[in-house]
Amino acid sequence: MTTQQFFLSGWDWDPFALAVGAAMVAGGAIADCGLRIADFKRGPPAGVVKRMGFLVIAALIFLIAAVSPISVLANGYLFSAHMMQHMLLLLLVPPFLLLSLPAVASAPTPGRSVWRMVERALTWPGLAWLAGVGAMWLWHAPALCNAATASQPVHRFQIVSLLLLGTLFWWPIVGPRTERRLMPLVGILYLFTACFACTVLGIFITFAPISVCPVYLHPMDRLGLLPLIRGDWGFTPTVDQQVGGLLMWVPACLVYLSAIMGLLARWYGSDEGEVAAAPAEAGPGLAPSDPVPENS
Amino acid sequence: MNHSAAIPVPAGYTGAREASRLYSWVATVDHKRIGILYIGTAMLFYVIAGIQALVMRLQLAAPENALISPSAYSQLFTMHGTTMIFLMGMPMLIGFANYLVPLMIGARDMAFPRLNAMTYWLVLFGGLLLYFSYIAGGAPAVGWFSYAPLSEQPYSTSPGVDYWIVGLLVLGVSSIAAAINLIATVLSLRAPGMSMRKLPLFVWMSLVTAALIIFALPALNVCIVMLLVDRQLGAQFFRPVLGGSAMLWQHFFWIFGHPEVYILALPAFGMISEVIPVFSRKPIFGYPFVAASGVLIAIYSFGVWAHHMFATGLGRTGDMFFAASSMLIAIPTGVKIFNWIATMWGGSLRFTTSMLFAIAFLVQFTIGGLSGITFATVPLDWQTTDTYYVVAHFHYVLIGGTVFAVYAGLYYWFPKITGRMLSERIGRLHFWLAVISFNLTFSVQHVLGLIGMPRRVYTYPDLPRWGSLNMLSTIGAFLSAVSVLVLLWNIVRSLRRGRLAGDNPWQAWTLEWATTSPPPEHNFERLPPVRSRRPLWDLAHPENPDPPIRGEGKTDSPYLEKNFVAITSFILSEATFFLMLIAAFVYYTLSLRLGHLAAANLDVGLAAIFTVCLLSSSFTLWRAERNLHRNNAKRFRLWLAATIALGLVFIIGQGREYLHLLYRGVTINSNLFATSFFTLTGFHGLHVIVGLTGLMIILGLAFAGDFKKGRAEAVRTMGLYWHFVDVVWIFVFSSVYLAGPRL
Repeated sequence: MTTQQFFLSGWDWDPFALAVGAAMVAGGAIADCGLRIADFKRGPPAGVVKRMGFLVIAALIFLIAAVSPISVLANGYLFSAHMMQHMLLLLLVPPFLLLSLPAVASAPTPGRSVWRMVERALTWPGLAWLAGVGAMWLWHAPALCNAATASQPVHRFQIVSLLLLGTLFWWPIVGPRTERRLMPLVGILYLFTACFACTVLGIFITFAPISVCPVYLHPMDRLGLLPLIRGDWGFTPTVDQQVGGLLMWVPACLVYLSAIMGLLARWYGSDEGEVAAAPAEAGPGLAPSDPVPENS
Repeated sequence: MNHSAAIPVPAGYTGAREASRLYSWVATVDHKRIGILYIGTAMLFYVIAGIQALVMRLQLAAPENALISPSAYSQLFTMHGTTMIFLMGMPMLIGFANYLVPLMIGARDMAFPRLNAMTYWLVLFGGLLLYFSYIAGGAPAVGWFSYAPLSEQPYSTSPGVDYWIVGLLVLGVSSIAAAINLIATVLSLRAPGMSMRKLPLFVWMSLVTAALIIFALPALNVCIVMLLVDRQLGAQFFRPVLGGSAMLWQHFFWIFGHPEVYILALPAFGMISEVIPVFSRKPIFGYPFVAASGVLIAIYSFGVWAHHMFATGLGRTGDMFFAASSMLIAIPTGVKIFNWIATMWGGSLRFTTSMLFAIAFLVQFTIGGLSGITFATVPLDWQTTDTYYVVAHFHYVLIGGTVFAVYAGLYYWFPKITGRMLSERIGRLHFWLAVISFNLTFSVQHVLGLIGMPRRVYTYPDLPRWGSLNMLSTIGAFLSAVSVLVLLWNIVRSLRRGRLAGDNPWQAWTLEWATTSPPPEHNFERLPPVRSRRPLWDLAHPENPDPPIRGEGKTDSPYLEKNFVAITSFILSEATFFLMLIAAFVYYTLSLRLGHLAAANLDVGLAAIFTVCLLSSSFTLWRAERNLHRNNAKRFRLWLAATIALGLVFIIGQGREYLHLLYRGVTINSNLFATSFFTLTGFHGLHVIVGLTGLMIILGLAFAGDFKKGRAEAVRTMGLYWHFVDVVWIFVFSSVYLAGPRL
């Protein structure tokens, strides 16, 4: 099989993955409506096209991760392909999904306090950070990594868990509840430390003298791909693990970095919007309500 | 200033001692004086490092020269590099930040003035320690990055490397403390209205640099501590003969080393971003981008260190990733250059000496950046690594970049600092001499490197053109020395009879120009309102003010409590330190298959019991704090005492473990498991002891009747540190005791 043949034919239209993808899109669309109904101070329905665009991007990235040749390779052949899948599902699909939701500025009615409590608990930044970083680390414990590759139910559970944990992780950064988003400098620290944790694991995987996911050492060649992978592409198990580690080390960090860039752009961009909305804000320079710095 | 009613003046106090000039400088806690001390010390070490460079250039002026011995030459380049980076570059930039940041944000002083004084005196102390090595048996001769195993005991027997390590440790502690102080100052003491989005770019860059320091310096501290353990206690972290890893030294060093480049570059970017707009009479073009790209560069600098190691055999896969990622970092830096050019575009330029140096910075730094990109190309790197091409590259970045920016800053802020203008006439002479001599010295070194001249070798054979090119470089170096003399002459002359500056000689727009030159000890009589990024422009042009920038308030720019900010920064720094120690433990245990030693020597059950003690001490401390808030002093003291008791039990448990190991003949130099185990748990134990000491002081104060009304922040600060020590133990316990035996 040549590389071209493989990329044309190697698509795995797994009904479960397609169902998850469909549920995601439907869920996004329904949440869109639901949140907008819940939002009393709804402004003009601006940005629908942009949000639908984000939803489409999320769906496309999900398809690349879950049914494209990457998924076929991740399914027992290449650790690096698995890493690619892992990163797409954890780091890219959830933020685009969240961005596709409309921003909710106001709090919903105080009656549904159980929901509020659950939401508050789940989206507490410390927990959210642990969810994102934990999903990165735990699924690469050798036993779990092996199980997720060898057994289909575990693999399916992995896909869903990555999406959910990723959503939790990105909630404080791009979640729809704008007043619950982290303030920019804290957000930068949140993303930077996550990047740090991810880098450490990436470095470990790159240089580890042992196999992180031994199932990939001797793949069962169901599709006759091994000659292509080992021969044409030159992916020996060692190189494979190195690429996997480096993917987590360098490009994964770029994702966090792009998010930081987005955060800063949003922060500085908010100037112009506010100024445009209230051009003649000429209050006294020393507002009495401002805390006076301690001068000692 | 009036004396506070609460603190009576001691009997017999006349104030005469404080008035004495020398004493007033030694005892000062004024950020401006400390800043001047920093800058002066940095200038002193700049001259020393310059003289070292001149001696090296004399030795290299002709082929087969025998002016100095090979070992003296090795000592010179080591001391020159170490001095320029740690004793000139960092103190100079931290000094400017020290002087300017409180003024620019409209604060009275730094957040912790006494800590500030300590950081300065540590710099001087660290410098003296480093130079003491000359008397104590020979300076270090292993290069500023001190590669193992050359820096190890059998290859470097003189105590030079030990002085280098201890000196750098002192300087590292100083830098981290200064960084914490800067972060706390910017986050807590900004004037009303000075929101984070209005910060002058020099302040912003200093903040980013400080954040970089607290994450990068611990990496240096870890690796030099490990080297010290090797050298002094006979361990083998970095000695390949005994199973250690020389590569790990390079990784750990460059985790620090690459961000260090940006620690030296970002404040320079900040200075340039202040100077260029003022002398172009335009606000900076794209403030958000300049500010944001500083953050990106800082964070990204942690991800590309491996490009210093292309020649070590990382493997093709690693090379490819790091080549790509290293090229990426050029993008935010490159766009910044366009920001500065666009600021000048269409402005009414005033070519003062300061502006001339800023423009020279743009040109020279760009050249250095472009030659830097050639190193990201792996095959080119293999050809040019350890040649004079590298020397040329980083001098273009650090002299043409950082030093020229510092010159620009010096000409710009000298009037504020001293109240007198530097002479523009002499300044121009200085400028042209500096630029011409710098390019003469280092541009030819590109060629020398490309035709194969290796760096760090005391002489070279008489090959065609090598002698003449080196002679040109030496002539350039001496002209550079003349330019520095011209600068010093200008400073001395202007201090005596320079033109008086007045408050705002450049019609600049940031707050430091709103006070007198030099500023009074309390900085400001009154502050102008801060509505935009150029408060003094608004003040001077009420009919045409800048569009106001909002963003005060809790979510955008809160004024955080300074103790909280400081301890959080410190904890982040310490967390990095422990992360690297844990990584070293896991690396050695895993790569050398030492898990069986962990299994044979460690008592997991007992350790688990002591772990429970330590972790429950976090709970008792939390109870203590709750009771403090409820004003229940008795219970507060009780729970605090319980915390201390639990901590003591843990320390005794650790001591028992150590004794047990020593009894079985396992010492720190037995094998790499023992070395990394003792180093990691030893540092943790040290932190527990420091925490216990702090808690005992608080308990003592509580018994003395303190903390009755408020002042809870001392308890909270100490409490956060204690919780941190406990959390670190969770990671140490799980990697050493739980995972260790299975590795």
